[in-house]
Amino acid sequence: MSRVRLIETTVLVLVALLLAGATVNDVARQTHVNQRLIEDLRTWRAYTHHDYHNLSIEQTLFGERSQREVVCGNTSPGAPKARVQICLAIWGPVVDGKRVVHGGWYLPADTEEDLRRHRYGCFGPTSSGICPTATEAAAEHRSTFSGTGA
Amino acid sequence: MARPAPAPASEGARTERWRLALAGACGFVLLAATIEIVLDAAQRHSPLVPRSPQIAGWIASLGGERLGYRVFLIAILAASVAYGVLLWLLRAHTHNASLSRWAIGLVVLLNLIVFAGPILISTDVFSYLAYARMGVVHSIDPYTHGPVAIVGDPVFYYVGHDWLRVATAYGPVYTLISYPLGALGLVGGLWGMKLYALLASTVTLALTWNVARRRGHDRVFPLLAVGANPLYVIYGLGGAHNDLIMLALMMAAVAFTLSDRDAAAGAAVVVGALVKATVAVLLPFMILARRRSAALYGALAALGLCALTGYLAFGIHGIDVVSALNRDSAFVSTDSFPNELAHLFGKPGVFPVDHDLLKAALVLIVLHLLWRTYRGYDWVAASGWALLAISVTSTWLLAWYILWPLPLAVVTRDRRLLAATLFVQGLFIVHQTSPLFAPVS
Repeated sequence: MSRVRLIETTVLVLVALLLAGATVNDVARQTHVNQRLIEDLRTWRAYTHHDYHNLSIEQTLFGERSQREVVCGNTSPGAPKARVQICLAIWGPVVDGKRVVHGGWYLPADTEEDLRRHRYGCFGPTSSGICPTATEAAAEHRSTFSGTGA
Repeated sequence: MARPAPAPASEGARTERWRLALAGACGFVLLAATIEIVLDAAQRHSPLVPRSPQIAGWIASLGGERLGYRVFLIAILAASVAYGVLLWLLRAHTHNASLSRWAIGLVVLLNLIVFAGPILISTDVFSYLAYARMGVVHSIDPYTHGPVAIVGDPVFYYVGHDWLRVATAYGPVYTLISYPLGALGLVGGLWGMKLYALLASTVTLALTWNVARRRGHDRVFPLLAVGANPLYVIYGLGGAHNDLIMLALMMAAVAFTLSDRDAAAGAAVVVGALVKATVAVLLPFMILARRRSAALYGALAALGLCALTGYLAFGIHGIDVVSALNRDSAFVSTDSFPNELAHLFGKPGVFPVDHDLLKAALVLIVLHLLWRTYRGYDWVAASGWALLAISVTSTWLLAWYILWPLPLAVVTRDRRLLAATLFVQGLFIVHQTSPLFAPVS
């Protein structure tokens, strides 16, 4: 049985090395992502001139690996998401600690999730297809206020 | 004239004194780190502390700052290093009464400090309470509805967003024992859940001590290895997770086999699996190693009784553990090793085919362990390896899942299992540390 034990131990050591490599790689990857998010937050604050800290970041809207983020935050002081929010689509290289804002939109107060039907006032080159069309917005408005929505 | 060499006995006594002093310092660091986390967590408004009714107000008045990632991670890292050094110092220590008292005192203090504090890290306990209140207060089946069915209930506000529409994945035994707490209101129920976790932890530690002694091991080392483990204390007990109840029943099963009560052992595994299904993996190893039918009959009797009770209480959904397992096995958490491996190989995450490959790998590992058990390998160690393999291959890994093999690892002679379990726990903690290098705020 000692030969079996030797094989098992060898396999365990190899698996341990693989898992350790994967963990260190993931910490480095996440640190890199965090660094980018710090720059995104700095960009939002510089663009809006609000030094708010309760901002939310969405990383998947433009694709998981796109490195394009959406940062949302209040337009006036208040609890997180309790005021009208401005969302900025941010990507590109870092210049002077900031990245480029490619557009954005607004969300009504007390909106928990950044869903397409909630967006309005889209601006910038990214706005195409991001906000609901006028017809969709009118339908959403009707369903909200008539109480007959699905 | 040369000085005479010191007597080896006095040299040994001095080394021993240093060793115990260093162990005392490690115990102090463990306590200080735990107190820091609990004090700061009691201030609330932290991303590491779930929204919760105020249950630790008197602790908040003692001082502290809002718990941030930096303080939390430094405290966890300090506690982990102290824990590792403590185990290394006591690895070959022979039993003595004063050391036993010190170890018990340390573990009791760590458990009580966390028990007195707020819920840490996870919202799971609010899901447990929501399912209980669904059944007791609102007469809604928690096996067919998620907490979203009780939007007006005070507990709804505290349930994790991802779980609002998810029916319970826990077994009928757990759901039934949680029902009395549903009637106690939000704060009463929350304290009830914390008390369940504390009692389960106490039973797990007492049985670990008992099993270690009866298997011829030192008792202090296993007690500290489980009861002072930072993941066990902060994540497991701090979150009042029902995994602790599963662990208590798992250790009860091991203790029963040592008394040759195989039927009770088989029954304990089944009852544990009807709290949380994972522990069922012990049963084939136990039956194969013991080579007695009593364990199988005990398991079947317990299964029949519990299934009947579950069916009468919840209908067919209450005993359909398999579909709940299948549903949960499709989830992916950022801390899971398959997800980390996917990133290592340049993939964005885990794909459906990976789930199949992982299941196949797990089956192979379990088959190998069964063969080893059949050839005389310790079934307790084999069960521990199987639990470790489940947590490592799972795409949905949470800190309290890597506690599963720990009580088994400390009562087996194969020290590779303990080393592997602690290594995996260490990697989990390392994986949390990226906010230390680039804090996002």
